[in-house]
Amino acid sequence: MVKIKINDQNLYAREGENILKLALKEGIDIPHLCYHEIFEEPYGACRLCIVEVIKDDERFITTSCTLQAQNGLEILTQSPEVVKHRKILLELYLAQAPNAENIKKLAEKYGIEKSRFPKRAFVTDHLNGKCILCGLCIRVCGEVMKAGVINYIGRGPSTKINTPFFEENPDCLGCLACVNICPTEAVSAEEVENRKILKSWSETKVKMKECKNCGSLFTTYPLWEKTKSLLMEMDTELEELCPNCKRELLIKKLTKNLPLPKPY
Amino acid sequence: MNNTKRAKELEEIILKHSSPAGRILSILEEIQEREGYLSKESLKYISKRLNIPLADLYSLVTFYSFFNLERGGKHTITVCMGTACYVKGAPKIIEELERRLGIKEGETTSDGIFTIKSARCFGACSMAPVVRINERIYGYVFPESLPSLLKLYGWKEK
Ligand code: SF4
Ligand code: SF4
Ligand code: FES
Repeated sequence: MVKIKINDQNLYAREGENILKLALKEGIDIPHLCYHEIFEEPYGACRLCIVEVIKDDERFITTSCTLQAQNGLEILTQSPEVVKHRKILLELYLAQAPNAENIKKLAEKYGIEKSRFPKRAFVTDHLNGKCILCGLCIRVCGEVMKAGVINYIGRGPSTKINTPFFEENPDCLGCLACVNICPTEAVSAEEVENRKILKSWSETKVKMKECKNCGSLFTTYPLWEKTKSLLMEMDTELEELCPNCKRELLIKKLTKNLPLPKPY
Repeated sequence: MNNTKRAKELEEIILKHSSPAGRILSILEEIQEREGYLSKESLKYISKRLNIPLADLYSLVTFYSFFNLERGGKHTITVCMGTACYVKGAPKIIEELERRLGIKEGETTSDGIFTIKSARCFGACSMAPVVRINERIYGYVFPESLPSLLKLYGWKEK
């Protein structure tokens, strides 16, 4: 265990523990968009989680999601310097994703009414004017679901996220992990008749599987197939597990052996 | 190109680049060298064969302006829009090219002869403004000198 200090609070932490995660657990509010604990490696993309580190006579700004606990570490989460930078970031995000509700709320909290920067996205784009290009959807689809349906396209100010060639991607599992992980609710999907339609991803359509007995649509076809082959493989492993543990083990296997995310 | 022929060529290229470092880029570069561009079919083949999601390949090739996703014309005219060339009137050259060839930047003439592109700096700033046609660099190009330059590549004034 090491001793650290966040604002006025003295805390104990495991050496190397993720500072953002620790702060949130302690009820210290640090705004963040691109951090998700399902990934072992933080990404440090959105920069909103910045804090000020005080080290001897030195002070510097860094992202808390990439900061690890060390004995004697002292940080400030709301120092004037942090607030100044965070305000500019929020102004930039207002221009990048003018329709994202949580960004609007956060900006308001920091007293920003308008962005001085020209709007970069519009309600009409495929991500509803809400995408901040944090890459969480790409990572969850590729690293966790192992589907690799979407990725960044192009670069610089015209960077987008979509399927290759802006065409329906048959690799999509219809798992909606991308929809659920998006911090700004940018990704849209809907269910029409017996198909999931990933509206944001070039209208990719995924067939649903219906229950043979009652006819209800209980999962998507590709997910069902994946689970089915896993079940066959794990036949004996599952025999002595209760339904809860069965479920947990299945999800683990389905998503690259990563542990299930636990609530804070 | 038919599929078996494509497969044979692509296998040859894959085999040639076996070292993992920079492998994908070298393979893509060689495909483009041979075919003139990266076709959807070739990218799909490479994606399956090397087990890399197509989305990742597409992301890579749209990141580097070096890669072409569309078949260009027989001759590619690339106008340098780097700082020196820009100041020396590169935008006017593009404008004039577009007017003379009747296409926009990024497009190919309907007879499939010329494609107009722009790029950032060929490292030949001393000769600004610079235009590259296929692999050749021409310096001190001005709108008025374009007709004679284009004629070298079989263009006829209408
Ligand atoms: S729904 Fe499709 S695109 Fe979204 S994470 Fe699942 S597989 Fe990827
Ligand atoms: S769609 Fe959402 S998750 Fe994906 S990059 Fe944009 S903001 Fe991030
Ligand atoms: S949460 Fe730390 S940079 Fe996005």
